[in-house]
Amino acid sequence: MTLFAEAAFSQEEFSVFRGDRINALIAVVAFSAAVLIFTNWAKRGKPLYLRKIAGLDAVEEAVGRATEMGRPVLFIPGIDDLDQIETIAGISILGRVAQITAQYETPLMVPVRYPLVLAAGQEVVQQAYIHAGKGDAYEKDMVRYVAGEQFAFAATVNGYMMREHPATNIYMGAFFAESLLLAETGNAAGSIQIAGTGRPEQLPFFVAACDYTLMGEELFAASAYLSHEPVMMGGLKGQDLMKVLIVILILAGVILVTFTTKLGPIFKSWFQAV
Amino acid sequence: MSFWERFEGMDRRWVYLMVGITVLIPFIIPMKFPVSVSPEARSFFNAVDSLPDSSTVMLVFDYYPSTIAECEPMAIAGAHHLFQKHCKIITLSNIPYGAPSMAESITRRIAAEYGKEYGKDFVNLGYKYGYVSVLKGMGVSIESIFPTDNRGTPLSELPLMNYVKNYEQVDFIFEVADNATADYWISIVNAGYSVPMGVGCTAVMAPKFYAFYGAGQIVGLLGGMKGAAEYEILLDKPSTAFRGMDIQSLVHFLIIGLVIIGNIGFFVTKRKKRKIGV
Amino acid sequence: MRTTAPVIIAFLTGATLVVTFFLNEKTPFVGQLSNQLLDWLIIIGGFTLLLGVVSILRVSWQTVQRRKEGWFYKIATIVSVLIMAIPSLLPVSWSPLFGRFEGSIYDWLFMNLQAPMMATMFATLAFYIASAAYRAFRARTPEATLLLLTATLVMFWRVPIGEAILNLIPGDVPFFINKFVMNGANLAVQRGIIIGAALGAAAMSLRIILGIERTYMGRG
Repeated sequence: MTLFAEAAFSQEEFSVFRGDRINALIAVVAFSAAVLIFTNWAKRGKPLYLRKIAGLDAVEEAVGRATEMGRPVLFIPGIDDLDQIETIAGISILGRVAQITAQYETPLMVPVRYPLVLAAGQEVVQQAYIHAGKGDAYEKDMVRYVAGEQFAFAATVNGYMMREHPATNIYMGAFFAESLLLAETGNAAGSIQIAGTGRPEQLPFFVAACDYTLMGEELFAASAYLSHEPVMMGGLKGQDLMKVLIVILILAGVILVTFTTKLGPIFKSWFQAV
Repeated sequence: MSFWERFEGMDRRWVYLMVGITVLIPFIIPMKFPVSVSPEARSFFNAVDSLPDSSTVMLVFDYYPSTIAECEPMAIAGAHHLFQKHCKIITLSNIPYGAPSMAESITRRIAAEYGKEYGKDFVNLGYKYGYVSVLKGMGVSIESIFPTDNRGTPLSELPLMNYVKNYEQVDFIFEVADNATADYWISIVNAGYSVPMGVGCTAVMAPKFYAFYGAGQIVGLLGGMKGAAEYEILLDKPSTAFRGMDIQSLVHFLIIGLVIIGNIGFFVTKRKKRKIGV
Repeated sequence: MRTTAPVIIAFLTGATLVVTFFLNEKTPFVGQLSNQLLDWLIIIGGFTLLLGVVSILRVSWQTVQRRKEGWFYKIATIVSVLIMAIPSLLPVSWSPLFGRFEGSIYDWLFMNLQAPMMATMFATLAFYIASAAYRAFRARTPEATLLLLTATLVMFWRVPIGEAILNLIPGDVPFFINKFVMNGANLAVQRGIIIGAALGAAAMSLRIILGIERTYMGRG
């Protein structure tokens, strides 16, 4: 194995630890500490405040609308593979949405683009239905592998929307150019639409065509927000603390770089790319 | 129903028809509007132009065939510029859908114009799965990730690859992308190995890359077909993108016109509803 | 075991990648560990591509066998997959029509059928954005009005004739848009969203590595 070969024949002296990445190490340790501290805080029952996210509050209402109209709910967990964190976030939200559709006995359709996402999606939906006490209502075909190519996927889903007229479309995950195709077709089909993505370039399309849009980190917060589990909400607070720290550092940097000659470059060098 | 009320609630298919007709007009009446060059495109061009002759450049084809109209002119203009400067070009792709084929056909066609030889002046590595693993792996050894080129020839048999082992021997990265792979090139390759790079991307993605341009992480930015047209103008080789600006201009005007008229209709309808107490 | 094993694997691989990021690549044993893991990812990824092909063929064949709705179109799917895949896998030495290179059946079908179809679907975005802009850009509120005005200015700026019209207005409007809108407000907002999304992704990754977040497995 190459790992052992290098160990046996390496004669050079070197430092095990990469000193040029110490700034990243400090950031990772601080971030992890913040998340863990607030998670522990939440476990001990301390109340945590989360601001309202309109798009997530509307999920249950939107599923209820679909139930009343007797039409299905369409959920797309993004069009990227399972190794992307946005897809994992989308699958997590799918679990929550599937629990609601199970409770209300609303048909659910989940088209996916990758086989691994298919497998994960089927598992998540099945567990959600079992958890809601409606294991018999689960059908394997709820989560379907549609097409591997981006626009073939969009064309198939658009066709489904125009034929079945789902009452509610939920787009949560990584989307690319097909985002507007999906959202605009959903709008034409008369669906209420809730979207969330971490891709800034797709947000304008979702904002223009959807009723609610989750931006960036709101997508990653959705799982914690919908579950109201203290442990997950603690993680959100830790993340927020890091953001406050970043804002303070940005302000400090602006002041130092603008008004000082020596401290500014020193401060800037601390944040050289790793 | 008044004209404004009817216009405000117009069926979207009329909009589609108007767009379709507008796109056809420049084919019948070519207009050749003059294209000005943005600072970001000029900066990109200057960075490539200031490369020493015979520099090694990675020309990355990270776009799907769907964005051929926007991205291919950038790649073609980039290949022309690099061959004019006698740069050694290594092409590769992180996209499986046809990008290696497009890279192959474009570079071979343009190389023939400049009398360049495959294996010595340019190499096409092809495609390998996994953005992060590929980009990180090439930092250690390109051959470990791409043991052969796109046609199955071992890299050891290609003279160019005998001295280009990893990013240390690469002088510039010319990235043409229509998806998130450009982010990975910036965060892994530019940040980790300090290889200067410029990005050509679709117009939709361009606003995001102003953040990287502003931070100095990329030396220049080509945004969409306009960016490609700018590069063509700077290279003095107006081509597909330059011709496409006629169509883009007219469609933009159509959309602006529809938005203005739609808003007039909105205000007229709103005032009418207020008058009748709705 | 069904729940514990994936959590342990996620923890070990995630922690390994984080720790090795801070170690010298020449460190015995652990230095190259992250590259090894990423190499394994490439190998696994190759198999998942195969999995997708098998999955689409299986599902399509089942639909045809059971004569479900749209079964006729599934025959077209199966035939398309086989026509593209089989000639591309056969050796080029048998015939120049085989393989993936220029002149082969695969290349012809890709460049003359698939690529134009993909480009056409992307082109439909132009129609959709026109109708979305027409419907969404209404001056209903002060914020919507600001959005509308900014979008109109950027649309003017982005095309040659529009820029020429803006140049007729006193003051360098195109320069103003480039400097203060694209490289000013837009840049700041993009950075904010990118930082926020990156923090959210990092927090979610940390929760997955530590086993706090298990909803992606269908549990928790």
